[in-house]
Amino acid sequence: MRRPKKYESGEATQYISRRAALRKLQLSLNDFRRLCILKGVYPREPKHRRRAQKGSSEIKVLYHSKDIRFLLHEPIVWTLRDYKIFAKKTGRDRAIKDFRNLKRRLALFPEIKLDHIVKERYPTFIDALKDLDDCLTLMFLFSTFPSLHLIPREQSNLCRRLTIEFLHYIIASKSLRKVFISIKGYYFQAEIKGQKVNWIVPHYYPFKPQSRQEVDFKVMSIFVEFFTIMLGFTNFRLFHGLNMAYPPQFPSNMLQDSEDTFKDESSFVSDRIAALNFELLRTDKVQEDEEDIDIDIDMDLLEQDGDSKRIIKMKQEAQETARLRTLFKGLKFYINREVPREPLVIIIRSFGGKVSWDSSVFAGATFDENDETITHQIVDRPSVSTQYISRDYIQPQWLFDCVNQRQLLPTNKYFMGESLPPHLSPFVDAKRDTYIPPEEKALHDPSLIETHAQSDDESEDEAAAEEDDVDQEALDAQLQLAYQQETAEYKKYGDADGVNEDEEDTDEYLEEEQSEEGSEEEEEEEEVDEKTKRLQAEKEKMSVQSGKVHKVNKRQLHKAEVDEHRLQARMVKPRHRDLFRKLIREKQSKEKEQWLLKKKRRNIEADAKEAKKQAKRDARKAAAAAAQAAAQLTK
Amino acid sequence: MAAAASIAVKRKRISKKNKSAWRKTDIQDVEQFLEHQRQEERIGTFEEKQDADLFTIDASPLKAPPSLLSIKQKRKLNAKKPMRTHLALENTSKVQDPIVSRNHVKQKQNGRNIEQEVRNPTKPRHRQANSDRASYYEKMEKRATDKQSGKRVNNMEKDIWIEEDFRDKIPGLKDEKGWISRNLALHIAGNVGKKLVKTHASLHHKTTKAKKFEPPHPGMSYNPTLRAHQELIDTVVDRETGIIKKEQHLKRVTTSMFSKVTPEERDKRRLMEMSEGMPDAEQEQEAAGEEADETEAKPTDNAYTTINAPVENKKKSKQARSKELKQKELERLHQVKKALKKQTADLNRIKSIRAELNEEAEELNELKKRRKQTVERKKFEPKRLGRHKFEEPDLDVNMPEDLAGNLRNVKVESNLLTDRFKLLQKRNMLPTTVAVTRKKSKVKRYPRNSHKEAGTSYQDLRDQRKAAAAAAKANKDTIKI
Repeated sequence: MRRPKKYESGEATQYISRRAALRKLQLSLNDFRRLCILKGVYPREPKHRRRAQKGSSEIKVLYHSKDIRFLLHEPIVWTLRDYKIFAKKTGRDRAIKDFRNLKRRLALFPEIKLDHIVKERYPTFIDALKDLDDCLTLMFLFSTFPSLHLIPREQSNLCRRLTIEFLHYIIASKSLRKVFISIKGYYFQAEIKGQKVNWIVPHYYPFKPQSRQEVDFKVMSIFVEFFTIMLGFTNFRLFHGLNMAYPPQFPSNMLQDSEDTFKDESSFVSDRIAALNFELLRTDKVQEDEEDIDIDIDMDLLEQDGDSKRIIKMKQEAQETARLRTLFKGLKFYINREVPREPLVIIIRSFGGKVSWDSSVFAGATFDENDETITHQIVDRPSVSTQYISRDYIQPQWLFDCVNQRQLLPTNKYFMGESLPPHLSPFVDAKRDTYIPPEEKALHDPSLIETHAQSDDESEDEAAAEEDDVDQEALDAQLQLAYQQETAEYKKYGDADGVNEDEEDTDEYLEEEQSEEGSEEEEEEEEVDEKTKRLQAEKEKMSVQSGKVHKVNKRQLHKAEVDEHRLQARMVKPRHRDLFRKLIREKQSKEKEQWLLKKKRRNIEADAKEAKKQAKRDARKAAAAAAQAAAQLTK
Repeated sequence: MAAAASIAVKRKRISKKNKSAWRKTDIQDVEQFLEHQRQEERIGTFEEKQDADLFTIDASPLKAPPSLLSIKQKRKLNAKKPMRTHLALENTSKVQDPIVSRNHVKQKQNGRNIEQEVRNPTKPRHRQANSDRASYYEKMEKRATDKQSGKRVNNMEKDIWIEEDFRDKIPGLKDEKGWISRNLALHIAGNVGKKLVKTHASLHHKTTKAKKFEPPHPGMSYNPTLRAHQELIDTVVDRETGIIKKEQHLKRVTTSMFSKVTPEERDKRRLMEMSEGMPDAEQEQEAAGEEADETEAKPTDNAYTTINAPVENKKKSKQARSKELKQKELERLHQVKKALKKQTADLNRIKSIRAELNEEAEELNELKKRRKQTVERKKFEPKRLGRHKFEEPDLDVNMPEDLAGNLRNVKVESNLLTDRFKLLQKRNMLPTTVAVTRKKSKVKRYPRNSHKEAGTSYQDLRDQRKAAAAAAKANKDTIKI
C-alpha cells in the first residue's frame, strides 16, 4: 500500500486558499468577490491554520473547498466570463470608432440572473424574512444616495422603489411594533409572520460624502445588488399575502382626471405612492374589521387548549397587539413642514391614524392645515403664529412614546416648546429584574408620577400625618388591585363569555351569583324548614362590625416560600443541578445589587429631605427672630 | 499751456549762421514738386491719356471659388484618389501591349472574403455561419425590444417560494403510475439539460453565534435619560482609557526601554563600532614602537603564532578508567538505595500524596474548563479571516453639550454605511481589509508660456527696462525749453 503523503487528507483538503480558488474557477479577483457575495459563500477560519495551509503559517484567506466546488456549477460564472469578453470587444470597438458595432454590443450586454440564487440561499420564505435586517437597512441607506462612483443611479432608484413598497406593506399589515429615535437614525421593528424584522432609517439630512478609506463601495454595491432582488421577491410575496396588487397600484377612483394626471400619469402615480398616504389597490374586497375578527377567533381556539401560563401570556400579548393596531384610530394628524415626514407617516398610518401635511412639502396631502377636525398637529419649533384651539400642538416624540408604551399618553408633557421627557429605548425590557430608578419607572407607568409629585412639596408637620395616609391609600390601592386581578383571573378560567375589563361588569357578576343562590333556596324550601328557621335566627344575630385589615404573617409567608424553594431544589435533576445553582446565585446577586442601589437612593433622598427640613426650620427661625427684632424695634 | 503746445508743433528753428549750416534747411517739398513737373513734361498729363492706354481687359482665367467641403469630406475624397506613391508605377506609355491575351496571375488573398461567403455560400460551413448569424441578430432584436418595453432580466414579479416539482417542467417525467422513480427523474433532468444542483449543508452553516440584531444602547437615544447616557459615556471612556493604557505600555516596553543619545554621540559610537578590531591611530604608534623592539630581538621571525595554547590529546590510564567505572557503579547503587528508602517513607505519607494528586487533577480540570470557556466565547467573536484582525468600531455617543432634546437639532453621530460594513465583517461575511492607497508621484507643473500673465516674465521685465532706458536717452537728446 502506498504510504499517504502529507497534506493529502484531513484539514488540508478541507480548505482551499483564495488564489487556488481563483485558478480553479478561472475568474479574476473582482469577479470572484462578486460571485462569492452573490452566492453567500464566505471565507472560513480553520481550526488549525497551519494544517489547512499545508504547512505555511501566514494568514491567508481560506474557503471551504466544498463551497468552491459548489460555485463551479453556477451558471453566472459563465456570465462573469462573458463580461470579460464583452469589455474587450467593446473596448476594441471604441478604439477603432466602430460605433455601429458598439451599439449592437451594448444592446446585448450580458446581465446576471439572480432569482435562482435567492431561492437557493433562502429555501423558505421565513428564511428570507429572518435575513431581512441587513437588507432593509442597506436599502434604506442606498435610497438616499446620489449617483456615485461605483454606485449607479438606477441602483439607488430601485432601492427607493422597493423600500417604499415594503413600507406600504408595513402600513397595510399594521405590523409595526417598536420605534426608536437614536442618534444613528430611526429604528423600526416590525413583526412579519412571527419574525421580528428590524431596520434603521437614516436621519433626513443632506447627503454626506463618505471617505473611501473606511468602506469598500464596490463590495457594498454588490451586496445591495443581491438585496434588491431578494427584497423584490419578498415584497411580491408579502403583497400577495395581503391580497394587494403588485407592483402597487391605486384604485381607479383615486385617479381623477385633473391636469396633473394628464400631464404625466406615471410620475403622478409614483409620487402618490411615495407619499404613503393612500390605500393601495386590493385584489379582493376584504375589509379591515373582518381581519380583526379572524384574529379573535384564533385566540378563542387557543383558549380551549388549556390554561398554562404560556398561553395566558400569549393571549395577553395578542390583546396588546390588537389594541396597538388601532392606537391612533379616529385621530387626525397634521405634520408641520419642519418635521421629518416619512417616519411619522409610517407610524401614524400603521396604527390607524389619518395624516396630512403641507401640500408644498410633498405630493399626496389630503387635507389642509385649516381643517377643524384635526386633533393633533405635530410641530418641532418653539412657537407657531396661528394656533387652533381644537387641536393639540405636540412634538414628534409623543408618537414614538405612544407606540412604545402601547397607549395614548397624556399630551401635556409633549406640548410645543415644552422640554421633553427622556425618550426610552423600547429594546430594553421595562420589566427587567435589575434596579430601575423611580424616574424611569414613572415614565413607564404614569400613575406613579402623581404620587411622587405630590409627596414632594409638603410642610413639615403635615408630612408625617400624610405619610400614613399615603400608606393607607397605597395599601387600599393594592388591595383593590389584588381583588381586580382575582376577579379577572376567575373570569378567565371560570367564565367563557370573554374578557370585560370594567368594574361595573364585575359588580353585575356578583349580583348574578347572589340571585342564583336565592333561586336554589326556593326550590328546597319545604324540605329544609328547620334549617331556614335556624338561619333566620342566625340572621337576627347578624350585625355589621368594623372590618379589620388582614394582617399578613410575614414569617409564615417567608417559611412557605423557603419550603417551596427547597421542594423545587429537590425536584431538579442531578444533571441540571449546577445550572440551577448558578441561576439561584445570579438571582441572589441581582437582588443584592438592587437592594443596595435602592438603599443608596433611600439614603440620598432622606438626606435631601432632612436638608430641606433643616433649611425650612432655619428660615422659620430666622423669620421669627426678625419678627422679634421688629417687635422690639416697635417697642 | 496751449501756447507752448503750438510752439512745439511749429518747425524748430535752427541757426544757419554758416554756409554749411544751410544744408539743414528742409527742401524736400520743393524738390518733390519740381520732380512731378518734370515727369508731366516727359509723359504728358493724366487728362490727355486715352482709356485704352490706361486700362487693359483681364484675359486670365477666373479663380476657382472656395470649396464648400469640410476638411473631413475633403479627406474622404482624397482617400478615394490613388496613392501618390503609386503614381510612379502607373503605365503612362501610349504604346499598346504587344501580347494580346495574358494569363492573369490570381492574387493570393489575405484571409477569407466573408462578404463573398455571405452572398453566395458555397460550402456547408458558410451556410451554418449564415444561419448562426441570423439567429444572433434575432436574439439581439429581441433583447432590444425587451429593453425598450422595460422588461427586466431579473423579473421580480413572481413567487419563487412556491412549492414546485422539477418533474412538472419536463414533459413526460410526470407520471401517475409511479413508473419513473425520483432518482431516474433526477438523472433524466441532468441529461436533458435542466440539472438540479443540490445545495450542501455547509452553505447554510452559521459561523458565529452572535445575535444578528444588536439593540441600540438606551443612551443612544436622541433624548436619553441621564443614567443611560452616563452609562454609555462611561463605557466609551473605559474603552478609550484601555486603549491609552495599552499604548503607554507599548511605549514603555519598546521606545522608552532604550537609552537616548545625541546624534553626535550616536555617530561617534557608530564609528567606534565599525572600526572595531582595526588598529587605532595611537595604538598604531605604540605598536610601531614595540615592533621596533621586536625587530631588534627577532629580526627574521615571520612565523604564525596563536594566543591559545595548543590542544593536546591526553589519554586516560587504565587505572583511571577502572576508577571511574567503579565510582559510577557506586553512584547508581546509592540512587537505588535512596529510591527504596523514599518508597518506604512514602508509605507513611499516602494521605498527603493523595492530596497532591487531587490538587493536580483539580488544576487540570480548571484548565479544561477554561479552555472550554474560551472555545465557547470564541463562537460569539468574529473569526480571523484575513491578514488583519477585526477591531470593534468606536461606540457612537453624543457628548452632553450636543444633546439638543428635540428632533430638529439632533446631531447625527454615526455613519450607517461604515456601521453596516463593520457589521458584515463582524459576522464573518467579509474579511477585514485595510484600504491601500497608492501614493501618486508628484508631478511638477509649469504654466505654458502662452498662458503666462503678461508683464511678469523676466523677458518682459528686461524689455520694459530697455524701453525705459531708451526713453530716458531720447529725452536726454531732446532739448528742453
